[in-house]
Amino acid sequence: MKEYRLDCLGEACPIPLIKAEKKMETMAVSDVLIVMIDHSCAMKNVPEWARKQGHNVDIEEVGDGEWEVIIEKVK
Amino acid sequence: MKQFFLRISENEIYQRLFKNPFTYVGGAVMLAMLNTLTLAFTGNGWGVTGAFGYWGAWTLKLVGIDVSTWASFASESAQKTLAGGFLADGVSVRNLGIILGALLATLLASQFKFKKIKSVRQVVAAVIGGLLMGYGARLAGGCNVGALFSATASLSVSGWVFAACLLVGGYIGSKLLVKFFM
Repeated sequence: MKEYRLDCLGEACPIPLIKAEKKMETMAVSDVLIVMIDHSCAMKNVPEWARKQGHNVDIEEVGDGEWEVIIEKVK
Repeated sequence: MKQFFLRISENEIYQRLFKNPFTYVGGAVMLAMLNTLTLAFTGNGWGVTGAFGYWGAWTLKLVGIDVSTWASFASESAQKTLAGGFLADGVSVRNLGIILGALLATLLASQFKFKKIKSVRQVVAAVIGGLLMGYGARLAGGCNVGALFSATASLSVSGWVFAACLLVGGYIGSKLLVKFFM
């Protein structure tokens, strides 16, 4: 199990989502991707996409207006 | 004091009203109700970018450039708005309210943040995009609020034409975005 971090701070929609999609493709099952974002609409669409794909998703508010979306690839 | 704010931050009503984003349906219903009120009280649907033309005109006037003779300000109502100034123009004041309201909302959610600029490329794209959107909105006679949302709500065909063109522009824009930013 590997852990990857994707720095999307300062990036607006839909860049965090596209970056997360691309990164997830290169990862193996049970790897974990942590997407760092500070754009509130990415906090909605990144988890929404990942859940639709069936992955395990957790959101952590790490600071004012700053989140980490933690995605575990399940398939 | 800290204890008090910690308790508020965990309060369910606070979270639903101020912290978590509204659902799409919830937002849509509120927009529809507010636009109905706007139409009923002002006689016009909600619009945003029309006022930006006046903001530009007033700014240019400050540095000594008079644009009141331009064709785009030729109508009687445009002349009146130009002469009346910022505070007499309801649309301008409402736009200011939207900006202040957005600030208030982000502060209430404790999500205010100065975001760092990632690259020169981001700045260039933002400036070009902003200019294109502003110019396009003036040519189209409105933006996605006035020319789309308010127009379709008033059963105007122009709103649907705008929507079709918006989709084409959005498609091209997303291709450019992937090309230059990924």
